[in-house]
Amino acid sequence: MHVIREDGSLDPTLDPGLSIDRVIGLYKAMVRTRVIDDRLEKLQRQGRIAFHVGSLGEEAAIIGSAAALREHDWIVPCYREVGALLWRGYPLQRYVDHMYGNADDPLRGRQMPDHTFSRAHRYLSVSAPIGTQIPHAVGVAMAARARGLDECVGVFFGDGATSSNDFHSAMNFAGVYQAPVVFLCRNNGYAISLRVEQQTAVQTMAEKAPAYGVPAVRVDGNDALAVWQAVGEGVRRASGGGGPTFIELMTYRLGGHSTSDDPRIYRTKDEVESWRKADPIDRLRKHIDRRDAWSDDLDEDWRAVCDAEVKECVRRAEEKPSPELRDMFTDVYAEQPWHLREQEAQCIEGPRARDDEEEP
Amino acid sequence: MARLDFKLPDIGEGVTEGEIVEWFVGVGDTVVEDDPMVEVMTDKATVTIGAPCDASVERLCFGVGDVARVGQVILTLESEGASNVDSAQRSSRPPATAVGDIQDHVPGAGLFTPEEVPTRNGGGRRGSVRPAAAAKRRSLRTSAESVGQISYFQAKPLATPATRRLAKDMAVDLRRVRPSGAGGRVTREDVRAAVRGQMTDDKPHAQLEEREPLVGMRRKIAERMQHAKTTAAHFTFVEECDASRLVDLRARLSDEASRRGVRLTFLPFVIKAVTEALKRHPVLNAEVDEQTNELVYKKYYNIGVATATDAGLMVPVIPGADRLRLFELASRVEALAKAAREGTLSPGDLRNSTFTVTSLGKRGGLLATPILNHPEVGILGVHRIKDKPVIREGQVVPGKVMILSLSLDHRVVDGHVGAAFAYDVIETLENPERLFYDAL
Amino acid sequence: MTEMNLVQAINSGLRDAMLADESVLVMGEDVGRLGGVFRVTQGLRETFGADRVLDTPLSESGILGTAIGMALHGLRPVSEIQFADFIYPGVDQLLSEAAKYRYRTAGEFHVPMVVRTPYGGGIRGGQYHSQSPEALFIHTPGLKVVCPSNPYDAKGLLLEAIADEDPVLFFEPKRVYRAVKMDVPDDAYTVPLGKAKTVRSGEHVTCVAWGAMLFEAFSAAEQLAAEGIDVEVIDLRTLWPLDIDALVESVHKTGRLVVVHEAPRTCGFGSELVTLIVERAFLHLEAPPVRITGWDTPFPLTHEQEYLPLAHRIAPALRDTARY
Repeated sequence: MHVIREDGSLDPTLDPGLSIDRVIGLYKAMVRTRVIDDRLEKLQRQGRIAFHVGSLGEEAAIIGSAAALREHDWIVPCYREVGALLWRGYPLQRYVDHMYGNADDPLRGRQMPDHTFSRAHRYLSVSAPIGTQIPHAVGVAMAARARGLDECVGVFFGDGATSSNDFHSAMNFAGVYQAPVVFLCRNNGYAISLRVEQQTAVQTMAEKAPAYGVPAVRVDGNDALAVWQAVGEGVRRASGGGGPTFIELMTYRLGGHSTSDDPRIYRTKDEVESWRKADPIDRLRKHIDRRDAWSDDLDEDWRAVCDAEVKECVRRAEEKPSPELRDMFTDVYAEQPWHLREQEAQCIEGPRARDDEEEP
Repeated sequence: MARLDFKLPDIGEGVTEGEIVEWFVGVGDTVVEDDPMVEVMTDKATVTIGAPCDASVERLCFGVGDVARVGQVILTLESEGASNVDSAQRSSRPPATAVGDIQDHVPGAGLFTPEEVPTRNGGGRRGSVRPAAAAKRRSLRTSAESVGQISYFQAKPLATPATRRLAKDMAVDLRRVRPSGAGGRVTREDVRAAVRGQMTDDKPHAQLEEREPLVGMRRKIAERMQHAKTTAAHFTFVEECDASRLVDLRARLSDEASRRGVRLTFLPFVIKAVTEALKRHPVLNAEVDEQTNELVYKKYYNIGVATATDAGLMVPVIPGADRLRLFELASRVEALAKAAREGTLSPGDLRNSTFTVTSLGKRGGLLATPILNHPEVGILGVHRIKDKPVIREGQVVPGKVMILSLSLDHRVVDGHVGAAFAYDVIETLENPERLFYDAL
Repeated sequence: MTEMNLVQAINSGLRDAMLADESVLVMGEDVGRLGGVFRVTQGLRETFGADRVLDTPLSESGILGTAIGMALHGLRPVSEIQFADFIYPGVDQLLSEAAKYRYRTAGEFHVPMVVRTPYGGGIRGGQYHSQSPEALFIHTPGLKVVCPSNPYDAKGLLLEAIADEDPVLFFEPKRVYRAVKMDVPDDAYTVPLGKAKTVRSGEHVTCVAWGAMLFEAFSAAEQLAAEGIDVEVIDLRTLWPLDIDALVESVHKTGRLVVVHEAPRTCGFGSELVTLIVERAFLHLEAPPVRITGWDTPFPLTHEQEYLPLAHRIAPALRDTARY
């Protein structure tokens, strides 16, 4: 499914009919995500943060989905979707603090960078094991319905996750219980190095869904308006009691799997270049330009604003101290049991690992 | 301007080093933040590292093809406001990466030195005993062997933690407790029995032996003797003394003494002679303070009188003996001896002597080597007066002879000083009228 | 008061919890129409409807994964895993997700869920209907592990577990399901988590057990009483967080410890209990602590009576320890 045509015009049969302001809002969020990604990758290269998993090339799939979900719907992330969280107004400073694991990191330095969450933004927590979040999404959706609430759940996962135990469990439960879930499968071509053709013997991810009784649609994931349209339909179906929808968002990961990855090992420059031509930001820009509502100057200004914002956040994050050592021992249980009280005291009163850098 | 040492960061998956593939900057170049500076190839990826801030390049530390370790400075920049970056770089030792912080070196890795290879002739040893461990085992054995007396265990005694606790509380050395428990274990009952002195022994001669624990007074005496003997440098000076006049004098005073209810022995005369001599030889009325390494001269003369009792040797003290008259001394000596035998001495009666006299009694032998009443530096053993031929004015005549055995601490008392003191005492005893010079 | 067996007491606890709190629901394989393969949930579907008593597809990761989602949203799911032996496909959800959610969101999200599962041998169930995997969960920070031995404790502990804000593994000794009957209050009541119970006071040796093995420990203790050996038997009830004080206090008194559990010995919970006692009561020990456990083999069938640490193995161990 495409909405934006080659020349930037919209397919009239699928046009979601968004106002130009909403389209520009979408575009600006995609650009902002990319600027932040770019900055974080540089910081990682300079050794200032440990790790980053970006969304280069997948901004339409992520932000288009987030934009189509209603404010009170839940987002269950995989790990590449911080753009969706920021779309919901999550403070950038908090995100950058998290990337540094400093004292203001909401995670208190307990996790690698890019493991975000926010109850206020109805955004569950990122977990590294693949696919484990998918049944959570079904459970949240079942609970919402059980409590008589009109809340849907959009759950992100990649093409690789469709091979996981939990994917099958979750799809099956969603089908059986007709849970109000929208499955958002970002098919970006690779699970780290593994091509999607080797991930599964079927041609598309979408054709897995009917086996669970879940309707599926395959969408151009680099076409923000197509994503918006498809996810919106999924939300409407779920909200109306029509059960789950599986959406395969066809996109391409232009960057590495993470900053630890070197994609040059497993794919060619030509392949990447050909996908650059399908850049989701350029695609949407083309449409906006056609409506004559944006300019290069505005574009440049916006990018500069975003970069300045993230740089300022970085400056502040680098000035903040580390989280307290005792934070290591809280939140294991609602109340701290005796053994953790004891271990906390042993740790705090005991000898410390040297954390000064080893000089060669 | 601030100098920034740019260190090779861990650019992913815990890499430890990277090869410099290409420099995009040279010394003196100015770079704008994010300008590519260098391309580095690690075992995981080849990445371009951008400038952390606007700066000029001061120095490149590696050439193309060189391998830099993570954390090594690869180039130096001059910039404003670089400190922030610097600290960020320092503090951001990555807590983890996608697959964990894989390091090629951990502290203590050197522990695992190559195993000793079997030698051609030596028949090959499996593994090797590390010298430190061997030494430790040796020292363990030595310490067990060095335990004197009976030791039932080569090294550690076998006992449960609770029994060890009991033994510790009761100050019992488990190695010396005869084990009666299964597998040669010391039981709680064994420890209690050891304390009660009811140790039994099933060795061959056990029936012919009797065991008595060194407890109470006996243990105290043993400790004190041991301490005196191992601390002071004992030497003993022996001389005889013609006690004829002393015997004579005592005989003449005895009536008056008994009239006053005093039993007059020779000991008060000796004590009197000693206190007078001590005043003339102050080093004999002193003690060595081992803590401060000082010699402490005492200006008071408290004379200890060694007394045999059923419980063992005791040394009751006559304080201010130099100020007592002869009969007063006599009655004090008698009272103390009685109290000692009856066990009614108070702790105060046993403290603070400055010099000790020991009367060796009827079976005092020819001579003796008394052990000092530590920390005193002198003890005088007084032997029984015997009838012996003496030569007086060229004639062999029957005489009354008393032997004095004087032990001294050679650390502080030289031989001639000790001898002078001895002759001083002898002089008085041979001419007991000297005792009354003060009354003249 | 009604005389109940363990099955009935747990059923009563579930019923009380569901009546008191609409957010409590029951889910698992065959728990609805059938009432569970052990009939623990019998009648609940009739009372509370299929929306609160969910017959789920045959997928442990699905059951536990969706239960986590429900708990994240604010429900209090009580999932049944048909046999503890079948929990492993869902273990990732428990270890990686339920146990860590509170920690990895600094308390913003938490997972108040209970996972009920029958465990243990002695029912001629062979390898896959007899296991005792409690140590795996005790080893995982963030999980609580409960194991009642009797109907009264079972209901009280279950209600407390359902009310708890953290994920609780609730191991039910299936050997005891219908074997023990006692008076149980019809109304709701609680037995606190983290509190052991001394079921027999004694001076000479402490015997720690839980679940089905408690009765074996108790009968071994009774045998030894005739010999003048006075055994103190402690029912842990909550395995984690452990009632360490009760244990230490008892060993301070007796100086001797025997731990009994069905699970294989190596790295079983007994290892941890012995270590804790050695660390905390070392100077009081009169004998080496002993573990009487299942052997380090998969659970057998024909010889299960020799595999299990029954009274015939516990009694000599208690005797030897007392006389050490």
